Amino acid sequence: MKIPISWLKDYVEITETPEELADLLTFSGTEVEAIETVGSEYEGVVVGKVREVSPHPNADRLRLCRVFNGKEELPVVCGADNVAPGVKAPFAGVGTVLPNGMVLKRARIRGEESLGMLCAEDELGLSHDHAGILLLDPALEAGTPLVEVLGPPEIVFNLEVTWNRSDCLSVIGMAREIAALTGRPLTIPEVTVTETGPDVASFVRVSIDSEDVCPRYTARVLQGIKLGPSPLWMQRRLSLCGVRAINNIVDITNYVMLESGHPLHAFDYQLLQGGQIVVRTAVPGESMATLDEAERELDVASLVVADETKPVALAGIMGGAGSEIQESTQHVLLESASFAPAGIHRTSTRLGLTTESSHRFERGVNIETVDWAGNRAAALMSELADATIAKGMVDEYPGRAERKRVYLSFQHTTDLLGVAIAGREITDILRRLQFPVVAEDEEGCTVEVPGFRHDIYIEADLIEEIARMYGFDRVPDARILCAVSPDAFDLPFQAETACRTVLTGLGLSEAVNYSFISAQLIDLFMPDGEASRVVLPNPVSSDQSVMRPSLIPQMVDVLGRNLSRQVREAAMFELGKIFERDASGTITEHKRLCLGLLGPVGRHPQDKRRDVDAEEMFRWLKGILEALLRSQHVLNEELTSYDAVMFESGTGVEIRVGDRVLGCMGLVDRKLGSEWRMQEPVAVAELDFEILTGGALERVDIEAIPMYPAVSRDVAMVVSSEVSHRQIEAVIRESAPPELTGLELFDIFASEGMGDGCKSLAYSLEFRSAERSLTDEDANGYQEAVKEALRAKLDAEIRDK
Amino acid sequence: MAIFRDGLFFWGEMMNSEKLKETLSEALAEARVAPDIEGLEHVRIKYLGRKGLLPGVMKGLGGLPPAERGEMGKLANRLKTELGGLLDQRREELESGAMGNVSFDFTLPGAWHAAGTRHPIARVIEDAAAIFARLGFTVAQGPDVETAYRNFEALNTPDYHPSLDEQDTFWLESGDLLRTQTSPVQIRVMESTQPPIRVITPGRCYRRDTTDATHSASFHQIEGLYVDTRVSLADLKATMGYFAREMMGPGVGVRFRPHFFPFTEPSVECDFSCHVCAGKGCRVCKFSGWIEIAGAGMVDPRVFKKVGYDPTAVTGFAFGMGVERIAMVKYGIPDIRMLYDNDIRFLKQFA
Repeated sequence: MKIPISWLKDYVEITETPEELADLLTFSGTEVEAIETVGSEYEGVVVGKVREVSPHPNADRLRLCRVFNGKEELPVVCGADNVAPGVKAPFAGVGTVLPNGMVLKRARIRGEESLGMLCAEDELGLSHDHAGILLLDPALEAGTPLVEVLGPPEIVFNLEVTWNRSDCLSVIGMAREIAALTGRPLTIPEVTVTETGPDVASFVRVSIDSEDVCPRYTARVLQGIKLGPSPLWMQRRLSLCGVRAINNIVDITNYVMLESGHPLHAFDYQLLQGGQIVVRTAVPGESMATLDEAERELDVASLVVADETKPVALAGIMGGAGSEIQESTQHVLLESASFAPAGIHRTSTRLGLTTESSHRFERGVNIETVDWAGNRAAALMSELADATIAKGMVDEYPGRAERKRVYLSFQHTTDLLGVAIAGREITDILRRLQFPVVAEDEEGCTVEVPGFRHDIYIEADLIEEIARMYGFDRVPDARILCAVSPDAFDLPFQAETACRTVLTGLGLSEAVNYSFISAQLIDLFMPDGEASRVVLPNPVSSDQSVMRPSLIPQMVDVLGRNLSRQVREAAMFELGKIFERDASGTITEHKRLCLGLLGPVGRHPQDKRRDVDAEEMFRWLKGILEALLRSQHVLNEELTSYDAVMFESGTGVEIRVGDRVLGCMGLVDRKLGSEWRMQEPVAVAELDFEILTGGALERVDIEAIPMYPAVSRDVAMVVSSEVSHRQIEAVIRESAPPELTGLELFDIFASEGMGDGCKSLAYSLEFRSAERSLTDEDANGYQEAVKEALRAKLDAEIRDK
Repeated sequence: MAIFRDGLFFWGEMMNSEKLKETLSEALAEARVAPDIEGLEHVRIKYLGRKGLLPGVMKGLGGLPPAERGEMGKLANRLKTELGGLLDQRREELESGAMGNVSFDFTLPGAWHAAGTRHPIARVIEDAAAIFARLGFTVAQGPDVETAYRNFEALNTPDYHPSLDEQDTFWLESGDLLRTQTSPVQIRVMESTQPPIRVITPGRCYRRDTTDATHSASFHQIEGLYVDTRVSLADLKATMGYFAREMMGPGVGVRFRPHFFPFTEPSVECDFSCHVCAGKGCRVCKFSGWIEIAGAGMVDPRVFKKVGYDPTAVTGFAFGMGVERIAMVKYGIPDIRMLYDNDIRFLKQFA
């Protein structure tokens, strides 16, 4: 909201500099977002009279003017459409520096001499308007310095009024704040309404059908208005507040709204049927054209102001086009009312229509001064538009109520703020804020809540008033005392931190993606399962329209994006939630951990140029996974082959722990990867975070350090390439005695000499007894048994050195 | 080995002082060229071992003429100390690998993988959790999909409050919504627990903002809640001050400006003095010396009523701040989208 300081001074004395005043307001709750200077001294700019206008010989859009500046007549080339003989406009002569920075020079424009310029509003820094030159009052004398016409430069505050403080949405409201802050008196103009017309009752009857949404409605009738522009001082104040001047009647309603916070509406009385105003909700199928010339469909909850037959205004939001003030208007019906906030907000939101009026009504206006605003506007119309005011005001006031009373305990104030404030200082603050103190003793006081305050219901609301007027900077820091919550909620968070520590230690960097994802991206990875997707009814954009059902698509996208930026390798993880919908529509969310590898991440630094093959890529990720699982005390995962669209055939694996599915891993399907021009294998995994970390806090039983030495034996074999490492391991474990304490694959290769479909594997077996030192003979015996079993069960050819 | 009266024989040769000198230099040379610990051990055994040369010489000394005995004794001692010393030195060299003839280029790059990095968002959350943990706050989490009740109504937000607008909230078909703040977690904590309560609630929130350099439709917040008997605004000030110093630097101060939130009363906005220019004014703080970081206030008694607490028995404060905002201010990140771009070259800088 914009307010010029000069207007505030009508109601309260201001001795502070603009900066001091801004601080005062900002630190009492109304932030001054900007301090603007509007206008200037306009040095060198005077009132110019256009004496002659003729066409420019070389340009259709330009005109040649003869402009009198009070001393001499000068040739001026002008491009404005509204230039005409006889008009008066700001004239800047050669050498003038305009507020927008332009320096005027003697010029030839398309061959014609121009010794100055007739100015538009933007060139004078008054607004951004460049629709034409600024037309001035024809009664002004040519040569008058413009500063005498427009007044000195103005300082305008741009204020951020918080949602609860509707009372501050006016010049008087802000003046009241300043008065309270400085202790100076607030002067509200006396309104004298001179009623010389017939009784208002002979013109209009008002009835309110929905009194809970319209607690008060007043109407005045003004006869014989002279429509015309409002005086310059009023236009200027409107413009400084960002409101466009239209005509004297509309300008007066806007002026009083800015001044008092009461939105008003002026109807052309003769366009209202039946001399009747009905405040009611719309009937089914009803619609109306509003002032912005839009045809609006009304729903049955929309509140309208109607005449005998039709809606004439969208109550509290915008007037109707059909009863608008126009050239032919002679009589005016002036509405000043109070509409309930909730209904205005609902209708304004539904129609997507916010106005200065709805902005104020949806926050609440002062029901007590609805009549004051109507009277103020009527008096101004009488003064500035020669209106005759009908006798009396129609004042329907079904919502009349006693003021609320609130008790404030001085002790509670001190306790809540942590600083001792004397009772007298508290009541003094409340009085300055215009809360009448109706009772007071040692312990506390009771105040009445004035009609302009819609945010005061309970004691805490008053304590806030005390705090902001007393000053937060005067509240000291307390000594920090720790009262610890009896319940710790930390464990899931600690599990996250622990996994982050392990994964970063393993060389993975953390990614964070949005929770939203595009349907197209999911389709690529998970074409099925559309039914379980959580789709947003009102997404910001279509590429953020679904809550992610998996972290993998974005992980691949991130790896692909890095690849496209010439990043050759990346090892990443993300910890985030996925969202699913079940058949009944219930949405569940689960924490997941996603891992992703791109490029030769597991290679020795001087061995990165070779292409990465599928097996090594898979095993790097598997290695990371195993390290992570062990860190979370998961010791017994089982991998089974798993087909999924996103995985390259044969590389997908489901990971189970007991009877629960921990997650899956695999290499990204090659065709899918080609969407990101991935030519080498890319590995991804996704794990359920709760299953992963569920056992991390379980106690671990420590085994004793072995007392007796171990004996090692190697077993090397050639087997069919169909035989898996897991099978070999199983046979070795079955055939070896409990003394087998270590089993490690230390070599694996395949060569042509071995014959087709064969591979060679070599294992190191470690034997150890808890009771004695094993002998070579013991170890040899164990080794033989293992060899024998491998031959028998896997058709292995044992290779002896 | 045999000892004859007229001389000292060893390894089939007569050992005299001349010969012993020669043997000493041979032994030293052998020790120098031994390629490994094993080779070195051979040299030791050959000359100094129990069956080696030196004990033999020492034994035979007594049978030598006194004139020779002195010189041979000296030589034997030299053999023992010089060779022994060299062997020890070489052994140390071999063991430490700093052997001249096994040289390598120590300027070659290391051959272990680099550590990964935490995301700056996670980093700010973890750092904040650690700071507040020192003040006795635990971390509570809650669902992203919330009821309108916990997100708005329980927080004393009337249903015609502007923040309830269709435009600002992601409503779901079920009538639930994506939480617009992490405050509903505070409601959950209060619903399930009795005071005293000290929690912070970090997590993801959603608002229908169009993405630009400072806005994102999904972002993170850290909120905090302290409820007990006699909690005051002065406690809030002290807590925010402590957090500001710990998070941004020892010289950072806080100031409160009155504001409005439906769920606190009084409500304040909390500015930190600029950690870059120490409040003098710079680009980071837009030349004001202050950076707006948090919203805070004393919990509105109407919120306590909603969760079944007696508002005459307890008071409390709550605060909330944007994680991305802190990360951007703290690390000088110019655009919020960089946090969600996941360029590894950006992420790797948060080591």
